[in-house]
Amino acid sequence: MTALTLDGVAHAYFGRTVLDGVALRVAEDEIVALVGPSGCGKSTLVHIAAGLIEPLRGRVVAGYRRHGMIFQEPRLLPWATAEDNIAYPLRLAGVARRERLERARRAADLVSLDRRDLDKYPVELSGGMRQRTAIARALVVEPDFVFFDEPFTALDVALKRQMQDLVITAARQARFAGLFVTHDLAEAVRVSDRIVVLDERVRGIAGERFVGIAHGARDDAAVFAAVQHYLKEDPLFRHLHETDERRIA
Amino acid sequence: MRRVVLDRMGRLGRFLWSGWVGVAGLAVFAALWQQGHEAYGDFILPSPIATFAATGTLLQSSETWRLAWETGLRAIQGFALTALLGGVLGLAVGYSAAAMRLARPLLTIVMGVPPIAWIVLAMIWFGSSTGTVLTTTVVASFPLVFANVAEGVATRDRALEDMARAFGAGPLQRLRTIVIRHVAGRYFPALAVALGSTFKVAVMAELLANIDGIGVALATSRANLDVAQSISWVVIIVAAIFIVEYGVVQPIRAELERWREAARPWGVKR
Repeated sequence: MTALTLDGVAHAYFGRTVLDGVALRVAEDEIVALVGPSGCGKSTLVHIAAGLIEPLRGRVVAGYRRHGMIFQEPRLLPWATAEDNIAYPLRLAGVARRERLERARRAADLVSLDRRDLDKYPVELSGGMRQRTAIARALVVEPDFVFFDEPFTALDVALKRQMQDLVITAARQARFAGLFVTHDLAEAVRVSDRIVVLDERVRGIAGERFVGIAHGARDDAAVFAAVQHYLKEDPLFRHLHETDERRIA
Repeated sequence: MRRVVLDRMGRLGRFLWSGWVGVAGLAVFAALWQQGHEAYGDFILPSPIATFAATGTLLQSSETWRLAWETGLRAIQGFALTALLGGVLGLAVGYSAAAMRLARPLLTIVMGVPPIAWIVLAMIWFGSSTGTVLTTTVVASFPLVFANVAEGVATRDRALEDMARAFGAGPLQRLRTIVIRHVAGRYFPALAVALGSTFKVAVMAELLANIDGIGVALATSRANLDVAQSISWVVIIVAAIFIVEYGVVQPIRAELERWREAARPWGVKR
């Protein structure tokens, strides 16, 4: 079963084609990492896949039932408490208040948010707590697919690790598939099953590599070795860090 | 449940307690007033005590209450109409950039015409009736509310809306759960200003168009050169504004803006 199929997807901004003829399949229970230099269209691709942007051409077929999404910024409602923020997707779905608060609390436990913090407003929470809240909000709908749009880029190193572990555990427990956009190769190696490389020169997917390390064996040394191997010996990753952000409109 | 009730009572208590600061401000005002009285004498500026005594005497007559009620009712009708029209039209126009651009020069025209000119026009159209007062009050305060709401919609947080869309929110749900909350942050301050101007313009329209209400009473006390009574009427108008602002507008605003309260650093919460 495929959880998500992208077929011949193309997109352009103001006449500049970013993506053209992109085809991608994500299997059930599979986490696919999208990596590539800034401006290669990886964020655009995940927004198209999540239905936030209408593609210029091509189609997106969702084989999953419900999806959640985590953005680079937490994107919490400033006027709602952490609890109400987590429950927000349930409110949209018309779930009764008592049930949605109960489910919000369960989702908060999943990301180890302190119950005392649930009554606080986003301004009162630290950056890490806010991102935890955003992850809980994505998990509260019990998704079988999760879109990650560079979710941990703004966090510091220690926090980033914690959040990655959280996602890895949650993915294993809740068994969801996912599309994970990142520009950090080490993050891609830690979190995903397959790494797909986007390149602006080909306006789409340049190639892909399966991460051949079992999830249990992805310690720092193994991740570091894999990243070094990709960067030094694999031609697919040669252009990953070559980018001139001034050319990107 | 018990915690919610306690929390609410705590906030109500803080709100009432903050009234002392307001009283202190009013006391400063009264002191300056007393200074003016001592410098210029009884005829030009009666003392605060004398004025409050005159207000007390005025309030004992049922005629005063009737006049205040007439004026208050008209002002509140005008205010409600402004709040409703400004809110609804502002929301509608804010969504469309083209409509915003069209509306801006119109607003400048409406705001540029002095209220006094509107009163003259309204008198010709409606005669000495409530219609005249309503027209002028709405024309005077509507542009402010409308512009603030439209601007609020135009500056809404698209990132939050994208988030809502990602979780399956339709346009109406986004309006209800995100846009309206964002706009409220500008709507209520605008309403507080509009409230003052509705009462002021209502009294002015009554005075000029000779419509039964506080405006006419003011005209009468002016004709009698009764300064204490004139000021008493002003006191009554201001009291009415106070009641509506702190009884209705501010409580609703405080309810919607609890998160801003939480954002303040420790020590300055009250």
